[in-house]
Amino acid sequence: MSGPPAADTGAVRAGCDRQDVNFKGQPYIEVRDLVFEYRRGSDTDGEPDVVMRAVDGVSLDVPRGSFTAIIGRNGSGKSTLAKNVNALFLPTSGSVTVDGMDTRDDAFVWEIRRRVGMVFQNPDNQLVSAVVEDDVAFGPENLGVAPDEIRERVRAALIAVDMTEQRKMAPHLLSGGQKQRVAIAGVVAMRPDAIIFDEPTAMLDPEGRREVMDVIGRLRADGVTIVLITHFMDETVDADRVVIMDRGRIVLDGTPAEVFRRADEIESLGLRLPFAVELASRLRRRGIDVPAGLLTPEAVAGWLRGSAA
Amino acid sequence: MTIKVSGLSHTYNAGLAYETKAVADVSFDVADGEFIGIIGHTGSGKSTLIQHLNGILKPDSGQIWIDGIDITGKGVKMHEIRKRVGMSFQYPEYQLFEETVYRDIAFGPRNLGLSDAEIDERVREAMDAVNLDFGEMAERSPFDLSGGQKRRAAIAGVIAMRPGVLILDEPTAGLDPKSHADVLSMIRSVHERMGAIVMLVSHNMEDIAAMSDRVFVMDMGRLVCSGTPAEVFADAEYLRGIGLGLPPSTEMARMLGLAAGAIRDMDDLIDAISRMRKGRDL
Repeated sequence: MSGPPAADTGAVRAGCDRQDVNFKGQPYIEVRDLVFEYRRGSDTDGEPDVVMRAVDGVSLDVPRGSFTAIIGRNGSGKSTLAKNVNALFLPTSGSVTVDGMDTRDDAFVWEIRRRVGMVFQNPDNQLVSAVVEDDVAFGPENLGVAPDEIRERVRAALIAVDMTEQRKMAPHLLSGGQKQRVAIAGVVAMRPDAIIFDEPTAMLDPEGRREVMDVIGRLRADGVTIVLITHFMDETVDADRVVIMDRGRIVLDGTPAEVFRRADEIESLGLRLPFAVELASRLRRRGIDVPAGLLTPEAVAGWLRGSAA
Repeated sequence: MTIKVSGLSHTYNAGLAYETKAVADVSFDVADGEFIGIIGHTGSGKSTLIQHLNGILKPDSGQIWIDGIDITGKGVKMHEIRKRVGMSFQYPEYQLFEETVYRDIAFGPRNLGLSDAEIDERVREAMDAVNLDFGEMAERSPFDLSGGQKRRAAIAGVIAMRPGVLILDEPTAGLDPKSHADVLSMIRSVHERMGAIVMLVSHNMEDIAAMSDRVFVMDMGRLVCSGTPAEVFADAEYLRGIGLGLPPSTEMARMLGLAAGAIRDMDDLIDAISRMRKGRDL
């Protein structure tokens, strides 16, 4: 299954589709020609509806077990796209399917939300209980899971996010990173196939950011399909694929190395390069011939040490 | 304008099981026109500390002098303090409420009892400072602006008070890279043009290193160190131990065995790498 042709999406396909090489079979999430419009207006003041097209013809395949990073300016449509994937929003036109289930089919809505979990920016808005383990149990309880099974799921979820020690604590006494890990555990306890993270580190301190990114890495290793929306470019360099959105459309799509090679386009989109990519490009301008495609500080440092020896 | 803080302490839930010493015996001085960066992990006491500086919170003990006035003393008029010390909270755009950008920014100056002409001058000046075009934006609803524009409009409302001290709590959180850069350059230009003391609370070590004259590090309610960015970021192990980190350029310099403390930003790093390689080529 190849992605849609560039003409459909306005996307500049950077190189080959790595997903074809690495991930065989039916894509887990299939977004087809998705348009989503926010409307507001006429009810109170008689003025015509104001229509804001937040997603404007997006097609995207997310293979099972892959890690897709989505970046783009505030208002570029990233979060709206994400909310269409787990049926919080339904398409104005086009379609979204999760493991073959169409989000517009009422019969699938709850199953889709169980399979595709979401983690948001502010952990304080996602925690509901007075004790950490009760909070993690909240989701499976609502699914009607048997008590023994709930206990097992909560235990496993807390291990997955490394919060077992704090299981009896009140969430409001935790640090930002710990709260966010509890929110993730609550999603993990639903045994989802995929988790969409919508700027999960935006409000966190450096340690909290490291903790959450470590947890995302572990979930990925366990085979969970990851979609990460972020403004921190350095969080995307380990992804299988980076998708850049602008004005509701996908404008760049490829591996991190492919996408971040297009420095000028990325800057003109109001974005930045990952630290190591920007450094390497500026070093090249100073006559130090750092090869392209080094994405991490460790890789650039390694090259600098090696080439100087 | 100067700030002096002496022996400031504040405890939440005093006497209860969850009693927390949010600020514990903090003392410092800030000189006229200084740019102070404040770092610390979530819950280290940064926000509690800064909320004392314009009188939102009262200390359990200790004194705070703003421009020589002890604001913890009896009979101090709080509106006199809030004229001098402007505070932009986290996600200040949630506090936008007026029908137009103009009216929102004018709200504070109007409460000072200024004339319409003076208010107009303040609004124009503040919009100019945050780089929002007056002709284009003044009559728009603040709720129709983009995320970065809303943030800047909200901060303009603070700037319109012409504060001698401008305190910003995480002003770039959640912004995309372009809006982030816009807000930073706005802060820099306000600092230069108004000569105000700026106190910037941020989790972004890169911004703190690039902007600050001095950096305050908070941990468990205490001010555990203060110094130039070079001094503070020289001790990577300590900072990591209290949940912080180094700016990426400083971290990279460490990886390369360069004198990390002196590397504040990518320009410094590139210069240092160039020198290192020239040295080896000789």
